[in-house]
Amino acid sequence: MPLEGLKGRRALVTGAASGIGSSIVQRLEREGVAVVATDIHPGKGIAVADLTDADDVEKLAGAAGAIDFLVNAAGGPAVVTRRDTLPPIPGAIALEDVDEKTWSAVIAANLTTAFLVCREFAPRMKARRFGRIVNFASIAARRGSDRVGVHYAAAKGGIIGLTKTLALELGPHNVTVNAIAPGFIRTPRIEQAGWGAASAAFIESLPLKRAGRPDDIAGVVAMLCSKAGGYVSGATIDVNGGWYFGP
Amino acid sequence: MKVAIVTGAAKPDSIGHEVALRLLKEGMQVVVADLYEEGFAALRQCLCVRCDVADPSSVEDMVARAVERLGRIDVLVNCVGGSWGITRKDLIASPPSGFRGLTSCSLDDWRTIVAANLDAVFYSCRAAAPHLKKQGGAIVNVASIAARKGIPPGSEGSSGPYAVAKAGVMGLTRQLALELGPHGVRVNCVAPGVIASGRLKRVLAITQQDHGPEGSLKTIPMGRVGAVDECAALIVALCTDDTSYMTGVTVDINGASYAA
Repeated sequence: MPLEGLKGRRALVTGAASGIGSSIVQRLEREGVAVVATDIHPGKGIAVADLTDADDVEKLAGAAGAIDFLVNAAGGPAVVTRRDTLPPIPGAIALEDVDEKTWSAVIAANLTTAFLVCREFAPRMKARRFGRIVNFASIAARRGSDRVGVHYAAAKGGIIGLTKTLALELGPHNVTVNAIAPGFIRTPRIEQAGWGAASAAFIESLPLKRAGRPDDIAGVVAMLCSKAGGYVSGATIDVNGGWYFGP
Repeated sequence: MKVAIVTGAAKPDSIGHEVALRLLKEGMQVVVADLYEEGFAALRQCLCVRCDVADPSSVEDMVARAVERLGRIDVLVNCVGGSWGITRKDLIASPPSGFRGLTSCSLDDWRTIVAANLDAVFYSCRAAAPHLKKQGGAIVNVASIAARKGIPPGSEGSSGPYAVAKAGVMGLTRQLALELGPHGVRVNCVAPGVIASGRLKRVLAITQQDHGPEGSLKTIPMGRVGAVDECAALIVALCTDDTSYMTGVTVDINGASYAA
C-alpha cells in the first residue's frame, strides 16, 4: 500500500545532492510527490542555493512556488562554503580546539539554514492552511557527540528547540513541525571519511546489529508527510537502530 | 502472507479496529484478540479470538490458536487498554464519574487498570516473541500522553493508575527493543493525546464538552483532537519497512500538546 496523502503534493528538500537528502528526494518522487531539490553543491536536478544566505533563500522561494512538505536535510559536521561544497567530513574536535570560525560555520550550516528556510516558507503554508515541516536533528543532540564535537551537537540541539517552538506557533494553522534524529547512517561520504569501517564492535552493540541506510531515514520522512503524520507535531523521532532511546 | 495480531480491536469506533482494517489492506492476515465478542461480526475477514488479555493463559491460548490456524506471527499491535470498559462486566459502560488519582483510587482500580494496560502487554509480547523471532517482525504498543504528563486532578474518564501503567509500557518497549532487536524484531510505541474514538465520545458525554480525559481540549496547539485513522496510520507505519531502523522509540501523536 502506498502511503496516504502524498501523491500530487509538492515538496522542497534541502541538502538534496547527496546522502540522506538525495534518498528522500527519490522516495518522495516514488510516492508521486513533485520535488524541488536544493543544495549548495551542484548536481543533477539541483537548484543551487546557499541557505545560510537569506537572499539566496528568498530567490529559491520565488522559484519553488507553493510547497506542501518542507524537508530541511541540509547540514552536517563539515564547514561548507560556496567554493568547497563537499569538503571531507572531519573527525572529532575537542572543546578547546573548536575555533570561533568553525563554531559559527557549523551553527550556520545546520541551524541558521533551517531557520531561514522555515521563516521563508511557513507564512505561505499558514496562508494555505496546510504544511508539513521535517527538520533534521541528530543523535549528537540526544546523547552528546563523541564523533564530531560540541559545535555540531549544539547546532542540532538548536533544531529541537526550533522544532518544538514552531510546532506550537504553526499548529493553529494546520502546519505540523517535527524533527528526525538519525543515528549512525552509512552514507557514501561517511564511508569516504573512514567511518564506514568504524568499529565492528560498535555496530555489534546496536540492538538492530547494523548501520542505518539513507532509505531508513527517507521512509520516516515519507511517514511524517503522509496521513500517519497528520497529528504528530513537536516530536523528535529517533531513528538509530536502538542506539539511544531519547528522553 | 504475513500475520498480525491486534489486541483490543473489536469495538467498532476504536483505534485497534482501524489498525486491524488497515493491516488487512496491507495484505496481512489479521487476528483480533478481544473480550468484546459482539464486535466480531463486523470483522469477518479477521480471525477473531475471545481473549482476556489480563489472563496470561487466555493470552497464551490466543497466540497458540493464531499460530495453529495461520502458521506464523509477524506483527503484534497492543491496542487494548483504558481506565474503564476493560473487564467483561463493564465492556460497554460509561466512564465512572469523579477523578481517580493514585491517592484516591481503590486498590481494585489499581489492580484492574495495571493488569489491562501493562500486564496485558507483557503477556502478549512474551507469548508472541518466540514466533516473531523466527523470521523477524515488529511490535507496536500503545501508550498515552498520560505517561508523559500525568492526569490533571479533577479530570474524568482516565486515572492515575493508567498514567503509571502507560509509562510502564514505554519502559517495556525499550527493554524488549534490546532483547528482540538482535532477532530482527523491532519494538516501538505510540503515545496518543486526545483521539476522537468512541471512548472519547463517552467521556465527553459525562464531562463539559471541552474537557477530555487528559485535560482541556482548548489548549491543543493544533486546535483539534486527533482522528482515529491518523493514529492507526501511524501505528501501521511502525509495523512496516518505512520505519526499518526505528526501535525502542515512543512516537508522540498529540497535535503538539506535549513535545518530549
